[in-house]
Amino acid sequence: MAWRRRKARERDLDRELRAHLDLETEEHRDDGLPVDQAHYAAQRALGNATLIKEVTRDMWGWTSVERLWQDLRYATRMFARSPGFVIAAVLSMALGIGGNAAMFSLVNALLIRPLPYAEPGALLRITSVYPKAALALFRERSRTMDIASASPGSESNLTRSGETVRATGSAVSDNLFSVLRIPAEMGRAFQPGEQRPGADGSLILSHALWNTAFHGNPQVIGSVATVDGMARQVVGVMPASFSYPSTKVQFWIPARLDPSDMEDYWGQEYVPFIARLRPGATLSQAHSEIRAMMDVLRTRFPFPMPRNWNNDATAISLQADMVEGIRGKLLVLFAAVGVVLLIACANVSSLLLSRAAARRKEIALRAALGAARSRIVRQLLTESVLLAALGAGSGLALAGVVLNIFKSVLPPGTASMAGVTIDWQVAGFVAGLAAMTGLAFGMVPALSTARIDLAGSMKAGSARATAPRGIRLRGWLIVGEVGLTVLLLVSAGLLLKSLYSMSQVNPGFSPEHILTVRLTPNQSICAQRESCVSLYGRLLEQARGISGTSEVAAANSIPLDGTLPTLPFDVEDHPKSADFPAPMFWTGAVTPGYFQVLRIPLLEGRVFTAGDGAKAGSVVIVTLSTARRFWPRQSAVGKHVKPVWDAQWRTVIGVVSDVRQFNLADRIPESISGAIYMPYPQAVQADHQIPAALTLLMKTTARPLRVAGEIRRMARVLNPDAPVEDVATLRDTVSESTADFRSTIWLFLSFAAAAIMLASVGIYGLVSNSVAQRTYEIGLRVAIGATRSEILRMMLAQSVRLTLMGIGVGVLASLVLTRFLAGMLFGVAATDVVTFTSACVLILGIAIVASYAPAWRAANLDPVRSLRAE
Amino acid sequence: MELLQGTLDMLILRTLLLGQAHGHQIARHIQQTTDDVLQVEHGSLYPALHRMERKGWIAAKWEAAGKDLKREFKYYRLTPAGRKQLAREESRWTRVVRAMARITQSVEEH
Repeated sequence: MAWRRRKARERDLDRELRAHLDLETEEHRDDGLPVDQAHYAAQRALGNATLIKEVTRDMWGWTSVERLWQDLRYATRMFARSPGFVIAAVLSMALGIGGNAAMFSLVNALLIRPLPYAEPGALLRITSVYPKAALALFRERSRTMDIASASPGSESNLTRSGETVRATGSAVSDNLFSVLRIPAEMGRAFQPGEQRPGADGSLILSHALWNTAFHGNPQVIGSVATVDGMARQVVGVMPASFSYPSTKVQFWIPARLDPSDMEDYWGQEYVPFIARLRPGATLSQAHSEIRAMMDVLRTRFPFPMPRNWNNDATAISLQADMVEGIRGKLLVLFAAVGVVLLIACANVSSLLLSRAAARRKEIALRAALGAARSRIVRQLLTESVLLAALGAGSGLALAGVVLNIFKSVLPPGTASMAGVTIDWQVAGFVAGLAAMTGLAFGMVPALSTARIDLAGSMKAGSARATAPRGIRLRGWLIVGEVGLTVLLLVSAGLLLKSLYSMSQVNPGFSPEHILTVRLTPNQSICAQRESCVSLYGRLLEQARGISGTSEVAAANSIPLDGTLPTLPFDVEDHPKSADFPAPMFWTGAVTPGYFQVLRIPLLEGRVFTAGDGAKAGSVVIVTLSTARRFWPRQSAVGKHVKPVWDAQWRTVIGVVSDVRQFNLADRIPESISGAIYMPYPQAVQADHQIPAALTLLMKTTARPLRVAGEIRRMARVLNPDAPVEDVATLRDTVSESTADFRSTIWLFLSFAAAAIMLASVGIYGLVSNSVAQRTYEIGLRVAIGATRSEILRMMLAQSVRLTLMGIGVGVLASLVLTRFLAGMLFGVAATDVVTFTSACVLILGIAIVASYAPAWRAANLDPVRSLRAE
Repeated sequence: MELLQGTLDMLILRTLLLGQAHGHQIARHIQQTTDDVLQVEHGSLYPALHRMERKGWIAAKWEAAGKDLKREFKYYRLTPAGRKQLAREESRWTRVVRAMARITQSVEEH
């Protein structure tokens, strides 16, 4: 009804204006003008017809809904008329908001939201790691906590009805699930007493493993599966949402507690403890209890422990512990994303300001024709909120993509990270952000526009001022934008330089044309040392025959594969004492060809030969840094070492150069004091057995998949229970070791690129706008003798001055803030002068380029025309 | 000379005092009676006319133009409310003009 009435009015107004134009045209024709000119003159006399209709419609009066609808229609029409502006603004917003939505999801899920366990506040992590014996001791003595343990998880062969898969399992205390208060989804959790030898044959599956390896079979409870050769009964399946200690863990077995097995009880894998504070107990009680228990524990060890061992052990919140590795990086990324959003807001605000300036005349005319001031302000606000909504919409669409990028950059395996999705909380957060930024940057131009003085504004004369308020405000926005961009650019530069330093690192080996394949037979086949030695002997013999393959070798751990086999050693000339316990060495078990295949240089003595067999004299090779550390100014060759439990000493027969074994940055845990190689037939690992799982290294020109196929076939013939996997070229392994780092850099670079783009659009807009507003002044300057280069310099100086101020702000901010990046940097200081200087020069250059085109336009204004334009 | 705010309403009402007229006639009349001193952008007339119509000062009706029966124009005429409004506007104007005159006279005498 209302709509029909309005339609009628529209027609009425059209007809009225047309009649006016016709009549006016006739009059001009009667005065002797040709038809087309008469029509044109009539239109000129009437003025801007669209605008007149617009304002006339306002006079009819509207309901608030109609008014909103009209504002929206008007806004869309304005947007359609300037697509460049809208795309720039919406993209800026989408980047900022999308990034923030994704980041907020992560931060909320990982740092803020409590752990998904009952009463998560009472859950603690006892720092450091402990032997199994400590678990029994602590559980017996603690009055304030229920203490549980879970090993970080290692890969095992899991066999079920003849099918073998490789899966990661964690050995846990029988009370782990009850301490976390997570019941099983099917079946049951472990029960008290299930860690006793003989009663520990149970197995609990993760939901995912049950779904894949067990095909989601509901009859799984009670069935039998073999883990590393030991038959176990499936007693439970955990819910899909559960992951502890990390997402890579796929099954849990009870950690066997056998006090009669001294080695296993005191010396084997040390594991972290978690605890739940009992009702009524306080954290400080728990702290003093831990100190007291630690004093008792130290006296119980069957071998001497350093007096200060775990002196500083304490309890921290489990949540803090679980995000420890990720927290710093997450916060740095969060800050970077926030900075991009700030820049985006400054930019959109600046864009809106320049548009408001450009529309000054139109708005003044609307005001003069009778549009109320509040109406104009509301119209402008509608525009910016609509813009913000468009930005938020695209931002939301972008958020999912960005979230996946962020996840790929953060360390994998963080419990509960995989489950992070964009949820309604995030949608609310984004909507709030959009509304707030929309109002924030909409308010500034809306108010400065509405302040237009009506009397003098129907002509454009008011634009003669050299620096109206809008320009000054935009100047500050640009300063801020440049400052933030410098901050991001410096951060990206520092990371980039770290990557460069890392690529310049000599890893100590040559990865060229080396294919690696991991063979993982069950440890049980190595009960007889000879059977394993002969298995690999024959396999290497056959692998050498694969066409294109020139050299082969095998080792328990290869560079950068993430494994760190270590053993405690007795070292000649270094008697151990309570203060200097046996050092831990990284312990390689390698076949004779290993050093040649990897081109690891021999510095002294000899490498292993086929003669260094199981029955020959025990020998080892040490790395240069180990030799220097333990026998400085002496030759290491001829010295002796042995694993602490051995009776017989092993002779050092050679020294090889160091290898970046753990990562390219060489940050191996401080607890490892050296690196040592043993010939495979003489090798031992922590369980005193010869390592069963080895990685084959082949220098080959053949296609990796073909070689892997051949190896698989050969292995199946030699030992049907030995899965072959992890086929990779060593070159890929090397580059993958920095993949996480490179993706972080990639992310920072894209932040910096986005920031540069936004800032240059901002600077370009500012200068063009100021040229437009100062046309009259420039014309005047040229008229009284200013040369073109002087004008060019004047216009450039404006943006250079702002940019320099921005750089000053940015450098100060960077000096304060880049230290938070320090943990991610390698081979570069957080205040690296070269990086800072390059970032500043780059920004300055970009600012000059961005302002050159409009400045050049200003310099080439025709003074006569620019003066007459007013 | 630019039109001062609020003047347009009075000029329109005054024009309609002489009888009904359509937009083009009103524009022409204002221009002629002020010896082209006051230039009204024709377009700005219509928002004003529609606003005054809504306020009830004037009423509008589509009618054929005198001799040319084929052509219709939207004619505006004054309502009683419009007459009262005009009286108010004029008395305000007279006061302003008198005040201005006194100021300019005193300057000349000086």
